Amino acid sequence: MTPTPAIPAPGRSLWGEAWQRLKARRGIRFCLWILVIYTAAAFFGEAVYWRSRNRDEGPSYQRINMNEAYQRPSVVSHPFARARAELGPAAAWTTVAGEGCRHLFQHPMGTDNLGRDVLQRLTQGARIAFQVGVITSLIAIPIGVILGCLAGYLGGRTDDVIVWLYSTVASMPGLLFILAISMVVGKGLKGVYLGIGLMTWTSLCRLIRAEVMKHKERPYVLAARTLGAGPVRIMFRHILPNVFHIVIIAFSLRFPSAIGTEVFMSFLGIGVQSEPSWGIMISNARLRLWHGMWWEMTFVTLAVFLVVLAFNLVGDALRDALDPRLRAGKR
Amino acid sequence: MPLLEIENLSVQFVSGQGRRRRVLRAVEQVSLSMEEGESLGVVGESGSGKTTLGRAILKLWKPAGGAIRFRGEDVAGLAGARLAAFRRQVQMIFQDPFDSLNPRMSIGTAIGEVLAIHGLRGKAERAARVAELLQLVGLPGDYAERYPHEFSGGQRQRIGMARALATGPKLIIADEPVSALDVSVQAQIINLMRRLQADRGIAYLFIAHDLAVVRTLCARVVVMYLGRVVESGPTGALFENPAHPYTEALLSAVPDVDADLDPGLAPKRRIVLKGDVPSATDVPRGCPFHPRCHRAQAVCAEKIPPLRNVAEGRCSACHFAEELLA
Repeated sequence: MTPTPAIPAPGRSLWGEAWQRLKARRGIRFCLWILVIYTAAAFFGEAVYWRSRNRDEGPSYQRINMNEAYQRPSVVSHPFARARAELGPAAAWTTVAGEGCRHLFQHPMGTDNLGRDVLQRLTQGARIAFQVGVITSLIAIPIGVILGCLAGYLGGRTDDVIVWLYSTVASMPGLLFILAISMVVGKGLKGVYLGIGLMTWTSLCRLIRAEVMKHKERPYVLAARTLGAGPVRIMFRHILPNVFHIVIIAFSLRFPSAIGTEVFMSFLGIGVQSEPSWGIMISNARLRLWHGMWWEMTFVTLAVFLVVLAFNLVGDALRDALDPRLRAGKR
Repeated sequence: MPLLEIENLSVQFVSGQGRRRRVLRAVEQVSLSMEEGESLGVVGESGSGKTTLGRAILKLWKPAGGAIRFRGEDVAGLAGARLAAFRRQVQMIFQDPFDSLNPRMSIGTAIGEVLAIHGLRGKAERAARVAELLQLVGLPGDYAERYPHEFSGGQRQRIGMARALATGPKLIIADEPVSALDVSVQAQIINLMRRLQADRGIAYLFIAHDLAVVRTLCARVVVMYLGRVVESGPTGALFENPAHPYTEALLSAVPDVDADLDPGLAPKRRIVLKGDVPSATDVPRGCPFHPRCHRAQAVCAEKIPPLRNVAEGRCSACHFAEELLA
């Protein structure tokens, strides 16, 4: 007789177990924290943006202050020595410390050529990067999932049409298509979002289609059919939860590439117009590099690097945690 | 009127096109009928079309020919409310208890969904009914929150039965329901199935390759080979005195514990079939069984033996059925 397996905490779903496995890895916890900080920065940036818009005033991150231009980042410029120099050698230690901290927090990442704080603009740029990731996903993922399910489950003519559609879209050079859409919609973010969204659903659609085809013949789907469930219910309530890990992984992996594309588009001058985005910051910083202003470029690329890295690592870890086969191996 | 009546049913799978077109004849000209509350066994090797037959009855495959009538109504033409009514009355239990439950659905949701599809709307009512069904198959009612991976094979098979019972079926097609289970668990499931049959008058179409299990549960047996029925009859008579060499070979493969323990008894003659089941895309000429048959003669390669009545309630598709029975 099969020994009845020790039943763990009752009613823990496979999602719950995957989350536990994910959290148990230290490197991944670090990456998750980066993503939390990044998300928080994006929401903060959003709040600042709407606050200045509602008050109908120029946003603080665009305010030019030529007196403070080209300041080195305070984290590397000995704020305490500077405080002592300002206050004179006789000043009390506590005053120097207080003044030093003020310096430290003034422009931790320095200022750009117009005296704008780099950290502030970086935070503001996270907002755009986040929007690109989320909005393009909101366009691409539903298209990919719905078409993939329909093609995989219904087969036949529907399948032929959808396969033709995604093959066609996938064979077009992506960047040119995004450029074309942004030209039609008009300069600005809307075009970039739409372009990226309409170009990047194909790989997800292909993956979902293949996986749905595999699941279609599985006994649990046959059981649902004999129990009288209709095709829509089977596709979206029975099969989709079983292939949803693909969607999550696809999301975590497409997010950084969407950010990358936006950076590139803004760099070319097609994306954001009057907002600091990471692409615009890189584009500007490039011109100041030979003035010796290395910090803007450094911190922006560092931010892009960390976020992309974190997303990729988490995406890989998700794949491991959610893969049903790996789970079966552990049993 | 019989509960289920199948007439000359054929199921084919076509692959490839043009010159590479292959037709796999999974079920070929099968006829059988079942009464209310009866249990009918379908036995045969893997690839004999048993599973396909069961799935065709449930409309999971489209038949290439023939008719399936449930309570006198042609199943092929069902749609809408009549189809839903048919689905309520005919249910299936699957072979693999690990794969026939949706791993992402708690079992309460899975069973509750069936009730919802068939019109039990109230949430509290549904939960109560789920608990009741779980108790009916011998599981605690408060397991509803749990997920399939938290159960053993036998428990999952019980859950599968609870789900099938949710609609109050009259016919359950049991596709090797115990072959993936340990022997002691098999006995529990078989006993459960018998109890349900006695309590609720459910008819079983019991698909199996384990003859001992069929013997304990079924009153009548149909033996299939390469998609065709080669013999049918009451279980006792058919097992005592088979009227088809294929049945003979199958029965001789059942280990006989008594004969092994008692040297005084004459050892049973073991008939070893030659080779494998031929591919159903390429069925031999004449009697489909003749290349492997230990009684084959010249006529077998020429003429297809029809399924005919050879004795009271017994049919066989062998040219020499009478000699076998004698």
